[in-house]
Amino acid sequence: MTLSLPLALKRSLVFAWLLALLSIALVLGLALGAVAVPPGDVVRALLGLQENPIITELRLPRVLGGMLVGAALGVAGAAFQGLFRNPLADPYLMGAASGAAFGVTLLAVLLGGLSPAFAQHAVFQGLPLSATLFGFLGALFATLLTLVLAGGVARTGELVLAGVVVGSVLTGLTTYLMLQDADRVRAVFAYTLGNLAFLGWPGVRALAVFLLLALPPLLLLGRVLNALQLGEEVARSLGLPLNGLKLLLLAAASLLTAASVAQAGIIGFVGLVTPHALRRLLGEDYRLLLPASALGGAALLALADLLARTLTRPAELPVGVVTTLLGGPFFLYLLWRRRGRA
Amino acid sequence: MKKLWAFFSVLLALAFAFPVTLTDDLGRQVTLKAPPKRIVSMLPSVTETVCALGACDRLVATDDYSDWPESVKKLPKAGGLYNPNPELIVSLKPDLVLVSRYGKLYETLERAGLTVFVVRTETYEDIFKTVRTVAQLLGLSAQGERLVAQIQREVYQEEARAAKAKGRPRVYYEIDPTPYTVGPESFIGVLIQKARGVNIVPKELGLFPKIAPEFVVEKNPEVIVATYPNARETIQSRPGWSRVRAVQTGRICVYTGGEDNLLSRPGPRVAQGLRLLVDCFHGR
Repeated sequence: MTLSLPLALKRSLVFAWLLALLSIALVLGLALGAVAVPPGDVVRALLGLQENPIITELRLPRVLGGMLVGAALGVAGAAFQGLFRNPLADPYLMGAASGAAFGVTLLAVLLGGLSPAFAQHAVFQGLPLSATLFGFLGALFATLLTLVLAGGVARTGELVLAGVVVGSVLTGLTTYLMLQDADRVRAVFAYTLGNLAFLGWPGVRALAVFLLLALPPLLLLGRVLNALQLGEEVARSLGLPLNGLKLLLLAAASLLTAASVAQAGIIGFVGLVTPHALRRLLGEDYRLLLPASALGGAALLALADLLARTLTRPAELPVGVVTTLLGGPFFLYLLWRRRGRA
Repeated sequence: MKKLWAFFSVLLALAFAFPVTLTDDLGRQVTLKAPPKRIVSMLPSVTETVCALGACDRLVATDDYSDWPESVKKLPKAGGLYNPNPELIVSLKPDLVLVSRYGKLYETLERAGLTVFVVRTETYEDIFKTVRTVAQLLGLSAQGERLVAQIQREVYQEEARAAKAKGRPRVYYEIDPTPYTVGPESFIGVLIQKARGVNIVPKELGLFPKIAPEFVVEKNPEVIVATYPNARETIQSRPGWSRVRAVQTGRICVYTGGEDNLLSRPGPRVAQGLRLLVDCFHGR
């Protein structure tokens, strides 16, 4: 009976489980793929004893990159949920992901006007920084717009409604940009559906840099998120410089969203489901929830991508389809359990 | 001889052909009382077929993507599959509208009282079926038979040229950088085979599978064909693809700006598309 275990032990168990799940995702992710590579050869390739570009150039960066994207989405989701005191908040519902996708598409169109080849290069390979920067501005703009339209974080219904509206409008604008320039932006379209297929080492490096930038402040601010759950008044009464901290949280979560969208496109449900599921196990303590969401999101997306690239091999499913098919029923289950208790 | 043909076709058209009733590709019976004079084509390959039959002057509008022959570019554009403009079509008072079997445009147009014929142009065989059907609808059956023979002759010439080549290169064909590719049973797949290339994609994956990059690297194609802008740079810069033979030897054939239509449209210009592939696989 997990319920009767001491709280600390239960929490340690959750983290142990997450680490085990992440290890399983790593091992299976490297062992399985479109091409059958014997386990011995996989190990030799990883140790550098044998040359095998399929493992070292394709599979390893894809698995690691998928984990980093999943971690970014998981943490961003947890931060949004805590910041807005709303269990439905996530990078997608708040319009942040749509904003990031709009920013990246705008960059592709602007650069595409100058030089299509450079645009493709800038957005997808050589300069992941510029794509993330534009995505970051788009995500931040979208989230702030959502906040303004909702009149702050206090009213949950308005917040969700405003987020959906902002997200839909920005998605519409993104689609419009693409239709204007169908040929040039075809590559962008392919990637907004969520795609880890060509995540290579440059993408992994970019993701790692942005995670290193955004993760520490978020993890340190778990305490602030905890205080916020008691209401703004209580948080303010604790002497916290609330406005600045909230903006910092928002910026960090937007940056993580943008980094993941710039590398892998829009992948739904990871940011929503991961913190949700872990909150049931860990409670409302964001000091634990944030790192746990990073681990959980990483494992979830790596496993989803594993399914996406092996279920129909050597063909692939769009990874966004898999996360939605996994996340949707799970979310319904959570709702059902909740209703059962109420 | 030519005059005789023309004479017979006119005679046939007048005496027997009309009213003509044909079954379209949704299995519906469509009757034309007289040869249509005002035609709207909502499919680029069908526009090409109408013009190849010598009836280009009967077109009053096309879809947005019809761009061959040159003269159709001046016609009103009635949208595409996802954003058709039925009001424009109705306002032009066509006596025949040729539409794709995808979408519900035919229902709207029929409710507006127009004669609509649904055409499927997806496979290599569809080219000849479409030529014959459209020819019958237009009262140009004899021209239709001649066009079929001409296309087949042109295709055979290219096949014969390919048959002289020594090798059969392994080919990877990319229609979109997601990456989506083509199966051997798709239209392009059939062209690859006719051009004596060996598609690395097995037929079990269907017509247009999203392929795993690992699989392409493993199959190590000798030639890559792609039909989107900047495909060469995109493909060269992919992680691990520098090991692929076609990337190492630079044998990446990119067709854009109209040439891609020769390969993606099952229509009367199929032999020109086939020629591109034969040139690409075996050199000129």
